[in-house]
Amino acid sequence: MSETQNEATPGTTIESPPAGRLLSWISTVDHKRIGILYICTATFFLAIGGLEALLMRIQLVLPNNTFLSPGFFNQMFTMHGTTMVFLVGMPVLVGFANYFVPLMIGARDVAFPRLNAMSYWLLPCGGTLLYFSFMTGQAPNAGWFSYAPLSTKPFNLMPAQDYWIVGLLCLGVGSIAAAINIFVTVLSCRAPGMSVQRVPLFVWMSLMTAILTILALPALNAALAMLLIDRWLGAAFFQPARGGSAVLWQHFFWVFGHPEVYILILPAFGMISEVIPVFSRKPIYGYVFVAGSSAVIVLLSYGVWAHHMFAVGLGMGADIFFAIGTLLIALPTGVKIFNWTATMWGGSIRLTTSMLFAVAFLLEFVIGGLTGVMFAAVPIDWQLTDTYFVVGHFHYVLIGGTVFGLFSATFYWFPKMTGRMLSERLGKLQFWLWVSGLNATFMTQHVLGVMGMPRRVYTYADNPGWMILNMVATIGAVLMALGTLALLWNIWISLRHGRLAGDNPWGGFTLEWATTSPPPENNFDVIPEVKSRRPLWDLDHPEHADWRLAKTTEDHGGRPDKAITAVWAFVASEAVFFLLLLVSYVVFNSKQLNGPTAASALDPNRAGLFTGCLLFSSLTFWLAEVSLGRGKQSTFRVWLGLSILLGAIFIGGQAWEYAGLISNNIMIDENLFAATFFTVTGFHGMHVIAGLVALCILLTLSMKRSLSPKRVNVVRAVGVYWHFVDVVWVVVFSIIYLRVLP
Amino acid sequence: MTSYLDDPALWNWMSPIWFVVLALIATYLWMCRARLTARSWWFAVALMALLVAFVSPIGVLANGYLFSAHMVQHLLLLLVVPLCVLLSLPQERVAALTNHRFNFGSRRPMGMTILCWLAGLGTMWLWHVPSLCNAATQSETLGIVRSTSFLMAGLAFWWPIFSPKNRLRLSPPAAVTYLFSACLGCTLLGIYITFTTISVCPAFANPSDRIGILTMLYRAGLTPVADQQLGGLLMWVPPCSLYVCAIISVLCRWYTADELASISTATATGSSPQMTKVTS
Ligand code: HEM
Ligand SMILES: [Cu+2]
Repeated sequence: MSETQNEATPGTTIESPPAGRLLSWISTVDHKRIGILYICTATFFLAIGGLEALLMRIQLVLPNNTFLSPGFFNQMFTMHGTTMVFLVGMPVLVGFANYFVPLMIGARDVAFPRLNAMSYWLLPCGGTLLYFSFMTGQAPNAGWFSYAPLSTKPFNLMPAQDYWIVGLLCLGVGSIAAAINIFVTVLSCRAPGMSVQRVPLFVWMSLMTAILTILALPALNAALAMLLIDRWLGAAFFQPARGGSAVLWQHFFWVFGHPEVYILILPAFGMISEVIPVFSRKPIYGYVFVAGSSAVIVLLSYGVWAHHMFAVGLGMGADIFFAIGTLLIALPTGVKIFNWTATMWGGSIRLTTSMLFAVAFLLEFVIGGLTGVMFAAVPIDWQLTDTYFVVGHFHYVLIGGTVFGLFSATFYWFPKMTGRMLSERLGKLQFWLWVSGLNATFMTQHVLGVMGMPRRVYTYADNPGWMILNMVATIGAVLMALGTLALLWNIWISLRHGRLAGDNPWGGFTLEWATTSPPPENNFDVIPEVKSRRPLWDLDHPEHADWRLAKTTEDHGGRPDKAITAVWAFVASEAVFFLLLLVSYVVFNSKQLNGPTAASALDPNRAGLFTGCLLFSSLTFWLAEVSLGRGKQSTFRVWLGLSILLGAIFIGGQAWEYAGLISNNIMIDENLFAATFFTVTGFHGMHVIAGLVALCILLTLSMKRSLSPKRVNVVRAVGVYWHFVDVVWVVVFSIIYLRVLP
Repeated sequence: MTSYLDDPALWNWMSPIWFVVLALIATYLWMCRARLTARSWWFAVALMALLVAFVSPIGVLANGYLFSAHMVQHLLLLLVVPLCVLLSLPQERVAALTNHRFNFGSRRPMGMTILCWLAGLGTMWLWHVPSLCNAATQSETLGIVRSTSFLMAGLAFWWPIFSPKNRLRLSPPAAVTYLFSACLGCTLLGIYITFTTISVCPAFANPSDRIGILTMLYRAGLTPVADQQLGGLLMWVPPCSLYVCAIISVLCRWYTADELASISTATATGSSPQMTKVTS
């Protein structure tokens, strides 16, 4: 496999007239430009989300205020939360990863530049869908986690909720695609010498975030799909009145939601792990611990979702276990604070704006972390949940953590992205505005929460002390808004008149500083030799080079195939999606149901026949693969054609099954058996059809003689997907038709 | 609580497991040629776990009283004992003994690995199919079959991770995937057992009160429903924690083992850093 992917970097360097320049941004597949597009779009939505927050704070500045109507307030907190998480937090982090991961590992671009462009364009698409809801007369108003049954049709007739669902589905697909891209880039496109154990921590954290995204977003997508089926097709997954379960929505949402908070914080961990060493002139203290503990966080983050649901009444046992899990996950998070502190210890520290934000990160994040640990104690959570204490908690971690990490990274990498330095004076102004604003707004909210002020209520009575605390909070919000203006102004003037940066203004250690600022289209003309975790340090200080002092794992040159790695990641993601659909099937069908059930409505024998066809098609596909590997094109086509035929027969069988059910008047809205059955098998059928399309494309390629044995990896990648679809069906068949679970 | 532990009815001192323990000790001494090392502590832990599983109140309660105790017993047999045994084996001897016979691990890694994974997960799932679970709790022979299958499956499961021969171990990223997906598997079963309304093992829903402690158990809050929930959580959280610990150890190995190995070669070839032209 070659290191470079020039096939996908068309010549956008040609000087073009203004209209052409704009077009070149729209049609770009360069990871740096896409990164910048991500960051700019996120900044645009940050302004909108910030305005929404300010409107809420104005409403709350006085007791019994009537500035916003109750309904509009609900729309504001829903849109603010959704915007900040899905349109600001995730995209801006993906944007930085897009720009810097390839540079830091010495690659020419991401693994799949075109897919990258698609992921980006899904962002404005989803954002537009979400905000288009305003045109329908009302924005979504069920909160950023859209708890059922409030989000179901009987309680929410307006189309706004549908826009919310479709917009988020769109964003979810884009995020997964972007995450797969970064995952494959890190694994397959590293420069020679860059073993995985040597990648900069930001790259490592981006890899971990990608894994989290790949495995967590499908949970949200499954929940959204089910909610959409509830709303559009009349099913009742989440409607307790019709036998559904509102708690199931909470489970599904938080199975996604808790990993999501780590998706938002891990890249920020990576950013300050780059900034702190550089401005302390020391290597990071305990690289292995920082990297390894993040991997542990990834794993544990899937096991603690129910700490968002202590108030639901899950039972003592479950509460205790989830409380312990939550305390456990705080450990690898907390100890890292010591790593960063120890890195600064005894270093020659330069307090640039970037470093200031990193230090503030340490302090503010600790506060947010501590209140988080408080919530792990179930009785405390019962007392404080749904009060402003929660709002205080997550803003300390999101602003003190994610946002400060981002600001730190912005000041650190702006010179690399533009070739010019940001103004330090304006930067310090922004820093103090944000630090005082954050503490003014959210420290007071902790107090308010303890006093019992509920969140998400549009106003409050004139209780003693509440007004003054709320005023302080609003003033803090204004300070943060001013701080943002300072940043925007800083960017604006620095782009024009900022000091020229040169290649490596900070004396950075990692590969992105080895190229020009901004980097050329192909990133590097020459890549320095990588023999340690700090290749540029080694270059500048040959006497004290890291590799002389301590050895790190040599690069053995293994670079997995891009297509196959990507398809495995995709398959893992889809597996989670089907897993949740199947969980819902089992949950609803292990209860006594009125109306049709699997036992009464399905014919396992007939379905078994078609199952045989599908399984057989896996075999024929494998034979096709083997023949292509041996260069036998015509046998390849025969086996491939047979696979397509068998797959088509399976689809035909499913259509027969559906026709039979429908003619017996069993529709998706009949009862929960029908709803879960049609959902699971329907989504599976769509996957089979997608697979058939892929097989047909392969067949056409082969007919046109453009499928050489050298590209057998593409066939193999499609094969992984096709076998996966079969495996899913085996599970579906045994659970639904054979009823192996009681 | 102490009174429970004092109660002689709760201890099964006459368990035949002692013979197994003696046999194991003999085998172990033969394996390591009676030369005990620090590694041998693991073996002691394995034996202790085995005794806890059968002799202590866990063993007695697992026998028809408490689903949760029965789950603890499974976990000891499936996860703790085999893991400790593998860690205790003297590497060189195992290498010498298995050189010709068990070479499969290196030849068909993928298929073998999947089989090992399925063994570990599959036994847990299989023995909790209600009818089987019931039968094994009521019949002594089936109970023995079950315990043996747990031990065997446990050995198979841990083999790709902690096999005494480095060559047979999975590469660290693969090992992490292996353990993480195993964690997912037992999470699913755990969730199912915790939240389902059906009795997974009906024998525990209405135990026959052999030694007259049922009222005491119910009074302590261990009613069948609570008991099953506890069992489900036990099958979910402790194994996953153990897997996470194993993952941590694999990651440590990944970062360090290779470093030690590479020190000698790297110092020999170390030249001053230079620019390498990248082919484009
Ligand atoms: C400019 C500074 C910010 C201010 C003044 C602010 C203010 C607020 C307010 C007033 C609420 C509604 C509380 C309620 O009544 O429930 C809220 C909720 C929320 N904010 Fe912020 N926020 C800011 C920045 C952010 C950022 C940067 C993020 C994420 C990256 C974020 C994420 C959220 C989320 C997830 C919610 C919960 C929404 C819900 O539960 O419906 N906020 N914020
Ligand atoms: Cu959480």
